[in-house]
Amino acid sequence: MERMQKYLTRCGNRARQITRRVMVLGLACSALASAAPFGKVVAIGGQAADLAIDEGRNVLYIANFTANRIEEMSLATGAIRTSINVSSQPSSLALSPDNRYLVIGHYGNFQSAATANNALTVIDLGSRARQTFAMGSPVLGVAFGIDGRALIVTTTDFQLFDPATGATQVLETITGLQAKTLPAANPNAPPSIVAATVAASGDGRSVYGLSDSFRFYYDVERRALRVLGYTSSPTMGPRAVSVSRDGSQFVAGWVLSNRDGVNVAQFGDPNGALDVGSHALDSSRGVLYSQIPTGTGGSLVSGVSGAQAPILQVLDSDNLRVRDRLQLAEHLAGKSVFNQDATVIYAISASGVTILPVGNLEQAPRVASTEQDVIFRGNFCDRRVSGQDIAIVNPGGGAVDFSLSSVTPGLRFSPSSGVTPATVRVSIDPAAFQNLKGTLTAQIEIKSEAAVNLASPIRVLINNREPDQRGSIINVAGKIVDIIADPERDRFYVLRQDTNEVLVFDGSTYSLQARLRTSNTPTQMAITFDRRYMLVGHDNAQIATMYDLETLEQLAPIRFPGGHYPRSIAVSGRSILAATRVAGPIHTIDKVDLVSRTATQLPSLGVYENNIDKSTILVATPNGNRIMAVQATGGLLLYDSTADTFTVSRKESDKLAGAVAASSFDQFVVGNKLLNASLVPIRTLDTSKVQSAGFMFVDQVGFRTSAGESTAAGVIQRVDLPVGQVSRATRMAEAPYLGDTEFPFTRTLAPLYSRNVIVNLTTSGFTVLPWAYDAAVAAPQIQRVVSAADGTENVATGGLVSLLGREMSPVNLATRELPLPTALGDSCLTINGVPTPMMFVSPGQLNAQIPYSIDGNATIVLRTPGGVSDNYNVQIRTTAPTVFRNAVGGTQTVATIVRTKNSELVTLSNPVRRGESLVVYLTGMGRTFPAIEAGIPGPNDPPLRAQIQPKVFIGGKEMGIRFAGLSPGQVGVYQIDAQVPGDTPVGLEIPLVITQDGGSTTVNLRVVD
Amino acid sequence: MKKLWMRALQLGSISAALALPGAAQQYEFGILGGGAFHFDRPVTGAVKGNAGLQPGWTAGGVLAHNSAGRWGGEARYQFQRTGLRASSEGQSISFSGQSHLAHYDVLLYSNSREDAVRPFVAFGGGLKGYQGTGTERAFQQLSNVAILSRVQQWQPMLSFGGGVKWRVGNRLMMRAEIRDFVTPFPKDVIVPSPGNKIGGWLHDITPLFGVSYLF
Repeated sequence: MERMQKYLTRCGNRARQITRRVMVLGLACSALASAAPFGKVVAIGGQAADLAIDEGRNVLYIANFTANRIEEMSLATGAIRTSINVSSQPSSLALSPDNRYLVIGHYGNFQSAATANNALTVIDLGSRARQTFAMGSPVLGVAFGIDGRALIVTTTDFQLFDPATGATQVLETITGLQAKTLPAANPNAPPSIVAATVAASGDGRSVYGLSDSFRFYYDVERRALRVLGYTSSPTMGPRAVSVSRDGSQFVAGWVLSNRDGVNVAQFGDPNGALDVGSHALDSSRGVLYSQIPTGTGGSLVSGVSGAQAPILQVLDSDNLRVRDRLQLAEHLAGKSVFNQDATVIYAISASGVTILPVGNLEQAPRVASTEQDVIFRGNFCDRRVSGQDIAIVNPGGGAVDFSLSSVTPGLRFSPSSGVTPATVRVSIDPAAFQNLKGTLTAQIEIKSEAAVNLASPIRVLINNREPDQRGSIINVAGKIVDIIADPERDRFYVLRQDTNEVLVFDGSTYSLQARLRTSNTPTQMAITFDRRYMLVGHDNAQIATMYDLETLEQLAPIRFPGGHYPRSIAVSGRSILAATRVAGPIHTIDKVDLVSRTATQLPSLGVYENNIDKSTILVATPNGNRIMAVQATGGLLLYDSTADTFTVSRKESDKLAGAVAASSFDQFVVGNKLLNASLVPIRTLDTSKVQSAGFMFVDQVGFRTSAGESTAAGVIQRVDLPVGQVSRATRMAEAPYLGDTEFPFTRTLAPLYSRNVIVNLTTSGFTVLPWAYDAAVAAPQIQRVVSAADGTENVATGGLVSLLGREMSPVNLATRELPLPTALGDSCLTINGVPTPMMFVSPGQLNAQIPYSIDGNATIVLRTPGGVSDNYNVQIRTTAPTVFRNAVGGTQTVATIVRTKNSELVTLSNPVRRGESLVVYLTGMGRTFPAIEAGIPGPNDPPLRAQIQPKVFIGGKEMGIRFAGLSPGQVGVYQIDAQVPGDTPVGLEIPLVITQDGGSTTVNLRVVD
Repeated sequence: MKKLWMRALQLGSISAALALPGAAQQYEFGILGGGAFHFDRPVTGAVKGNAGLQPGWTAGGVLAHNSAGRWGGEARYQFQRTGLRASSEGQSISFSGQSHLAHYDVLLYSNSREDAVRPFVAFGGGLKGYQGTGTERAFQQLSNVAILSRVQQWQPMLSFGGGVKWRVGNRLMMRAEIRDFVTPFPKDVIVPSPGNKIGGWLHDITPLFGVSYLF
């Protein structure tokens, strides 16, 4: 008998070894197919159900559910050292805080009562003695609190268990939980069979758990248990719980909740599978590591065509913003645990356990582009092949292979593969896009065999436009879904959905002022009637985030009822309403109470049921009198704030989409329909099938935008509301944002508080249109061309110049885009027919860089929507150094010369001293060696020297020059680094003379001893 | 109370002096300190204002010899901590600064060196070094009036004044005096802005107290 047992044991071990080898071979094959998986897989020859880490003994305990043993894996080597045979179906594990007891729950819920083997095993890890207690019900989970007692969750009750004495205490009973019986259908996995999980916080003061029908929170110190029922669709998978160290946050399934159980963020499009995926919450670093398979990403069966790849996401732990995505060797499948310093995750996975050394992630080979977006602005006066440089890098440093690909014809990059760090030239052939009259969005995919991450693709925006297309495109990376102008401050807000943030832009310069973090998948913004606060609704959080618009600080969020996702919020003078997507059959309108920061479902919408379509959008009249609710299924509702109820409910059509807007004069727009105060259509704005993408009311005038498709030119029209007359369409530089099937309604127009411009959400970000975009514009006039540095007429090749004149641009616009664009706003400048990079345009002044290819007599021509300027003839010298002037103290103007010692401008109060070093900033020093193209900033390493070196004298003494050439990082700006001789005369106005190739410029400096 | 205390001090000093007749040494070495008060000079030109030095403190040392008759002489060094300042139309700015004074003065006494109390008048000359020590900034307020600079400038100096010395022991002497140190305005340190002028003499009224060791 003994021999037989030994034989069987040997057979079992042999079978396990074979299984492991087969699985390792399989992994190796899959590794070849999916490059550089992150982490190491340890196969256990069974299916793992739970983990417990014992760093004191350097062991990870793995509950091998199907093999009825506890595997002891070495933390140092990842090898299974020993296995402890236990009763059948060990489904959960927990280690006591003093590391003495290992408590094992058994889910032996066999159909036949005779074979049921529900039990609890306690192993004294010091003596290896074990005790098994029979349990009346299958054990769902075990977790130790800081008090040394284990919370045992069974299908019928919560018990407190003392491992030293074996004493138990029933905390509460459970009713109505349907436990699955064994044997289970195959294939199957422990998370799907047990369908429950329990985990404790790092400080041992909180225990959270999740089952099919309830979540619970156990406060260890107060011995208080709170059980919350829930419903979810899809099912709450993966069946894993991760808890922050202090217990203030936990992730259960695909939902991140706070201690009160409020869903503060959730994963979008979850698959709901219980046995695929996992997560681990590192609250100290604000990071959540997770694999949550998606519902639309394909099959979860690895071998099936189009199956989802196992991807570990690295996310912000407060709003689930994705930081990085890592390739895994196989699907995770249940609980994950950290080691003590949160540098290694041990996660249950398909083979057993995957070891993820996340602490070394920074050093792991990764690949990324330094640019999220590359934008090409082709225009009617520049049909050359244009290119831009991007850098492909390993964020942790070092060499990693990469290859680039794109399916867009006419988009080229060189080199298309290589090793990081590398500079890649992205170029487009304008001929390939000559028929394009808007913006085409293309992508460059980045792949790497060695990198562990999946690099985000580079978005390439290719814009082409005709002279009549109006507007200045400002590129904003990411998915932009909403725009709103501040009614009191000169700024506007843009909602970026992919990174969960509100972008705050200055209304004069269109520069980004601040980023406000939202929760996951923000959908719409609203400003309170007192204009002090902003509310943001979400599709993947049951809260609305709130901000103080004076300080731009985030305030406590508004909590919505369980299962309610506030997608759209509108503010009337009396009430704040939110259209919520509800995890259930009926979607509702909720009312927000700002004081208590809560929202409650309205019992009814006046005389109508509170039952709306999921994609309902709310829009309020600016005077706060009414809120219109528009449903994608065609229903319309109107809330009257005076009556404080819904007064109109109509069905307009079977399907509604596009722009929505409300005016203070009781007019409304939905799609192409203009509605009256009873929401009855009174006019159709466009009889074609082209849907309105944006509409805004300004007093008695409306502005409407539309586009046939996202690559087309957008169209903007002015609507005279009293008579309903629509003006002639004006084409825009690109199409407005058109929404999608999930969010069919769009708000894309924002009239700024100053009423100078209209900001329009468009394909590349936003497009700025002058208020009078359709006014007749006179042809531009160039009256003078001067050096941008000192206003003199000394201009040179490669130098920065200011064109002074009239009607040179309909808008004021400065760009930070690099390389500098050759069309800015609606202006396009050529010198001798060569497109010229510009950095600033306004009606009276335009700043540009003279192309390096041009010198001698040149003809300057400016094209704007008003026409073409007369030729302006100018002599461009090969060198004409002019020193930049700088305003000091508001009134004084001084040369831009910096004392190296304190990096401050040399002025009368900050004089030069004999022997000191100076940096002189100037333009007009001509061509460089090596050569560089106009519009491109000077490189840093090495900096480019001027081909013709200047000489510098101060007080008649020649200064030693260390460098004279392009200032690194600057376009058209040169610098001279020079030293003041020790015998320089002192005085208040000592002349500093720069001579170069016969030309010279002089500025006076104060020199002291 | 204050008067009583002063009276007691005087009586004590005089008594001590009278009790030590014949202790009339030829040299004295002492230290002294006090306040320094300057009179700003007007800035004329494009933008009008005033410029000069702030009130401050001074301290220094003296090496003196006393002839048998009624005259003597002394060489002195004084350090002054006095910031630079300029003002115009209700606005004012300052800049840290200090000065060094080195001078020799002839002293004429009203009585002989054997007397315990010796009033005197003094006159002499030397050099005064003005120095701006503040932090230089690209923009300084009122730089259209004058620029307060981090430079050093030595100026010839005249010294006038008077005071009294009295013995408080065999080898100890106290002194109280007031001086006016006069220099040309330090235009390298307080620079009139282009188009402006600052001229004339800068007076530095300095009341001083000191104690000397006689040998």
